[in-house]
Amino acid sequence: MDTLAPSRSSSAFLASGLSLLLPGAGQFYLRQRERGIGIGASALVMAYLIQWALSNFKMGALAFWLWSVFALFWVWNVWDAYRLARQQSTYNRLGFLLALIIIYLIGWQVTDINLDRLVTRFQDVQVVFRALLYPDLFTQEGGTWRPSENFGDIIGKMVERPAPDWLVRLGIVQSNTRVPTPIFGKMAETIAIGLMATFLAVLFAVPLSFFAAHNIMARVPGGIVIYYAMRTFLNIVRSVDTLIWGIIIVVWVGLGSFAGTLALTIHSIAALGKLYSEEVEHIDPGPIEAITATGANLLQVIRYAVIPQIVPPFLAYTLLRWDINMRMATVVGFVAGGGIGFYVVETIRKGAYEQYAAALWVVAIVIILVDMISAQWRARILAGEEKVSSEAPRPFYTSLRALLWLALGLALFALCWQLAEMDLRKLFEPAPTFTKVVRDFVAIDLSPDVLDTVLKQMLITLFQALMATTLGGLAAVPFSFLAARNLMGGNAFGLAVYYVIRSLFNILRSIEALLYVAIFVFWVGIGPFAGMLALAITTFALIGKLFSEAVENIDPGPLEAIQATGATGLQTIVYAVLPQIIPPFISYLIYQWDINVRIATIVGFAGGGGVGLLLNTYFSMLQYHKAGTVVAMIVIVVALMDFASARIRERLV
Amino acid sequence: MLKVENLTKIYPNGTVALRDVSFEVQDGEFLAVIGLSGSGKSTLMRCINRLIEPTSGRIIWNGVDLTALSPAEMRKMRRQIGMIFQQFNLVKRSSVMTNVLSGRLGYVSPYQSLFNYFSPADHTRALQNLERLGLRDKAYVRADSLSGGQQQRVGIARALMQEPKLILADEPVASLDPVLSHSILKYLEQMNKEDGITVLCSLHFLDLVHRYATRAIGLKEGRLVFQGLPQEIDDAQFKKIFGQEAERVTIL
Repeated sequence: MDTLAPSRSSSAFLASGLSLLLPGAGQFYLRQRERGIGIGASALVMAYLIQWALSNFKMGALAFWLWSVFALFWVWNVWDAYRLARQQSTYNRLGFLLALIIIYLIGWQVTDINLDRLVTRFQDVQVVFRALLYPDLFTQEGGTWRPSENFGDIIGKMVERPAPDWLVRLGIVQSNTRVPTPIFGKMAETIAIGLMATFLAVLFAVPLSFFAAHNIMARVPGGIVIYYAMRTFLNIVRSVDTLIWGIIIVVWVGLGSFAGTLALTIHSIAALGKLYSEEVEHIDPGPIEAITATGANLLQVIRYAVIPQIVPPFLAYTLLRWDINMRMATVVGFVAGGGIGFYVVETIRKGAYEQYAAALWVVAIVIILVDMISAQWRARILAGEEKVSSEAPRPFYTSLRALLWLALGLALFALCWQLAEMDLRKLFEPAPTFTKVVRDFVAIDLSPDVLDTVLKQMLITLFQALMATTLGGLAAVPFSFLAARNLMGGNAFGLAVYYVIRSLFNILRSIEALLYVAIFVFWVGIGPFAGMLALAITTFALIGKLFSEAVENIDPGPLEAIQATGATGLQTIVYAVLPQIIPPFISYLIYQWDINVRIATIVGFAGGGGVGLLLNTYFSMLQYHKAGTVVAMIVIVVALMDFASARIRERLV
Repeated sequence: MLKVENLTKIYPNGTVALRDVSFEVQDGEFLAVIGLSGSGKSTLMRCINRLIEPTSGRIIWNGVDLTALSPAEMRKMRRQIGMIFQQFNLVKRSSVMTNVLSGRLGYVSPYQSLFNYFSPADHTRALQNLERLGLRDKAYVRADSLSGGQQQRVGIARALMQEPKLILADEPVASLDPVLSHSILKYLEQMNKEDGITVLCSLHFLDLVHRYATRAIGLKEGRLVFQGLPQEIDDAQFKKIFGQEAERVTIL
């Protein structure tokens, strides 16, 4: 600490006096610049938030308490400056705690948290829970179970249809006969949307990623400019959520699966483009040098030195994206039409909870399967299959199995093309109003009252994410220990608990927050509270899984060492377990907050409040320039969150 | 014959890697290039096949000025100049065979090679080269499943596919366990003696220079400070090349 040693007590009074006038000023004077600015900025933000909350929401007696805690923070800051000047130890945690109290008090009020509603209105929601136990998938008819009508709507069914032309021409069936034809349901459509969007995104992201790779563009004259332009472009596109792209695309090509596919594709191109380009940047330059030295030309260098290095990581990222796209495909229908999301909206509107429950179960099963397949293939790709053979492998086109796979792939592609209602002509025939819409949308409305409204909803969204992360995270802590194999694997009962909790995490995790909102809207009413609860459920499941893995990964060495000193079980936990798991826990929580902010921007589409609700309203009222303001605000906030969360996590780890 | 005249390389950041280096290499020589790390050995090697563009000076290879060639002409010329690297620089995820065949890329049709097509003659040649380096049975395994010494032998096989007249070996044994050094250098010696390939090889250990090189040059801070027979490197010369603090170390 480099303070002014000679006049220690006088500088202590000067510093604390300065801090009394302006929080952080004393610390700044004592050359603790970062600390001073931090305290000053925190005080400013808190004062603004309190003022904002008081003027926008009914705070009642809370106003007094908020200002009291704020006063305490002020006093702490004066005391802190005093102790700092006298080179005594300071109590950072106290100031931090006071700030947290203010933030959470406001957050609680702003997101309209009323825990009593969870109890008093439980009667109303019982019907939904009962439906979840008895989803409308099978019906009993004369003692035998068979798929219900709803099952057909969700998954698909066989119906007798006139034979298609090609079957007749090939002479397989007579003309005018009826053959069983599959009619695919909404979930099949969802799967097709996810597959198609991933395929299209890869097609575009691969070439784009080379333009966003520093090591490639640095070699091309003028490449650095293209590199920065491309990176910025990808980052902006990526920060706009798939569903928001959905709203915009619908104006272009109309409601339907095609719009959903396009929205997913656009977001995926940006997300994949970024990941791919980072992979291109990390390739080993050695082989490039070696292949160049043989006299190969540029194309050959790319074919033999670059592609073999990037194919496996590209494939792994693609599989990961496919998983994400399948999840997003389940909700894109909320705004774009098509897929199971659209179906869910319909069931909610009709109050058909058994059908809604059936959809949730089918989504959970499909997404869990997708998750497993994607994870398994990724692991296999990254491990790199070891080929141990002394024979030359035959070219793939001579192998019957490869040809069979190729044919299957093509058939699947054709089917997906049809189910996702791909219609490229629509791209070139936008609605006549489309250009006007785009013009309005780009010319964002910056009038004070619009900005004020947007800011208000944005702050609510941020608080929703914060409260959901906190509540979900807190709830996840005890469960995560129960889902850690190294703690629970000791006996049969423990193992059973482990499997139950793990399955609970996996099922809850596989359903997007947006699909949960309906339950909570029914339970606690439309508004930020419902959205927050839906987010908290997914947070609980995601964080619970990550936490339990962190617990599983603790190093047994320190445990052994502490136990060897004769420590008790509790002492072992405090000294050997907690120090190992708290840093990853906090890091995961911050990361989750970042994710939750993105999702909180869209829970409003289903009645979850926040900025999504506002965006939806502006769109339905055709006020596109105001919608543009909302999207611009989201882009800025998401980018800031991204940056801040990465910085904080870097410092923690 | 290779003739290097007044070769200078200054990197964009201002580092002078080579200062006015001139020397000659007769056909069939095994020339050792010695010097500390950072003395310019790697830069010298890469200037000869123009993986790095020299700042000034000329490189004459069999009467052709390499520094004056167009990129397309230089690519043709690179076919005659094989290169072996400290880090082997194999494509780790590709098979040994593909790595070896990639040595033919300068000869084959660019379009066919994009589909990984190489003629049966090239396949036979690749297998023969692997046979020669004792790796025939490893042809179809992935390159990264081999040990360091084996990977470097694959690197040599790849260079041989070029049917080179000159091999540039940039610290070929520095990343290997010292006990494996001889196995690699014996192969290079064999190429040099049996096939008459000229070898330029940078080395760290003086023992190895004495044992394998027919002649040596020494670089210090980018300058040529020694040129002569390996036996001529006495203590005074040694200090001149490696600095006053250097001590001789021996392996095996």
